[in-house]
Amino acid sequence: MRTVVIGAHLRRDDIEPAAAALAAGGVFLSGVEVPDDQPLGDRALLLRVAETRAGLLDRATFIAIRYGFAARSEAEAAAKVAPHVTRWQQLLSDHRNDVEMTLKIAATTSKPRPDRRAFDSGASYLKALHEATQAATIDEAFRAAVEQKLVAKRRKWIHRDNQSMELVALVARNAIDEIRAAGEELKRDFPHVAFMLSGPWPLEVFADDDHE
Amino acid sequence: MPDEDAADLSLLEALDHLLDRGVVIAGEAIISIGDVDLLYLGLNIVLANVDAVARVSRR
Amino acid sequence: MMITNDEERLRQQLSFTESTIPSRISADPEVVENGLARLVLAIIELVRRLLEKQALRRMDGGNLTEEEIERLGEALMKLEEKMAEMKRVFGLEDDDLNLSLGPVKTLD
Repeated sequence: MRTVVIGAHLRRDDIEPAAAALAAGGVFLSGVEVPDDQPLGDRALLLRVAETRAGLLDRATFIAIRYGFAARSEAEAAAKVAPHVTRWQQLLSDHRNDVEMTLKIAATTSKPRPDRRAFDSGASYLKALHEATQAATIDEAFRAAVEQKLVAKRRKWIHRDNQSMELVALVARNAIDEIRAAGEELKRDFPHVAFMLSGPWPLEVFADDDHE
Repeated sequence: MPDEDAADLSLLEALDHLLDRGVVIAGEAIISIGDVDLLYLGLNIVLANVDAVARVSRR
Repeated sequence: MMITNDEERLRQQLSFTESTIPSRISADPEVVENGLARLVLAIIELVRRLLEKQALRRMDGGNLTEEEIERLGEALMKLEEKMAEMKRVFGLEDDDLNLSLGPVKTLD
């Protein structure tokens, strides 16, 4: 039996009975048990994990672990996450009642994809590709409206690709309805701006250790 | 939007968050030449971020 | 919760997330549409794009050495070149390398 790890939580009862809990020296890891012969690439398993993840978020916020980590024992899981435990404990207690909301927005202008044939070194090509992802801009009026209406504790704008931008907001769990209302307003006021507001999500972006 | 579509999109978005912008390729097919069926192909591929735990790789 | 005002575009963007294969595939070299080569190349193309996304994410992280950046960039250029060559060999266009998921969802 392996345990596909879903998240890091502050307390064991944040996890049980919705999922299996593994003690990891200061935090608890949630997971779904899978037989050794079931490949992790199984779509049905993915769906089961996604569902469990959502159920866990209903209980309390947690730090999301990306799909792919399957521990064979509690000891193995604890060892793997050991370097992060102290930081995670702090995050989990600071943000126990917070969740992430994601706003994806289609870009209005973007830099065209660089042509590899115009570059004579790998580094210059990769840097040009990177620059192109940073160049996307979105409707200014929409952006201003988002800044004003989407009230959040923290916000982070992210350039994921050269065709869109993403805003990840850290909000109080009990503010989700207000966010939903803001989303409906944006939809009504900006019919020409393609966007998607989704959530709630566990701590993903705001659990990154490059977060200031 | 119709309910099935909404559930559909929700699922895709949930997978997107779970895989952190990874991908699932799934399906079954029969491989044939002309009208002769020859092989069954079943695919369940997941492409995901290599570092599940450290979300930003730092030295 | 999900609120959107452009399901179509959203589907296309999210379609990257889940692709399915056609239920009938021809191994006959004369067949291009729903051919085996098309399927294999579509999957390789998908892997190539993901590799690129991951490399760009590492660039975001800002902790790649100059050498690593050169190496990654070089490899990505070569992969792209190989794909272009393979497409020519099999008579495939970019559009042909979409793994369709029903009427709307495509690779790009």
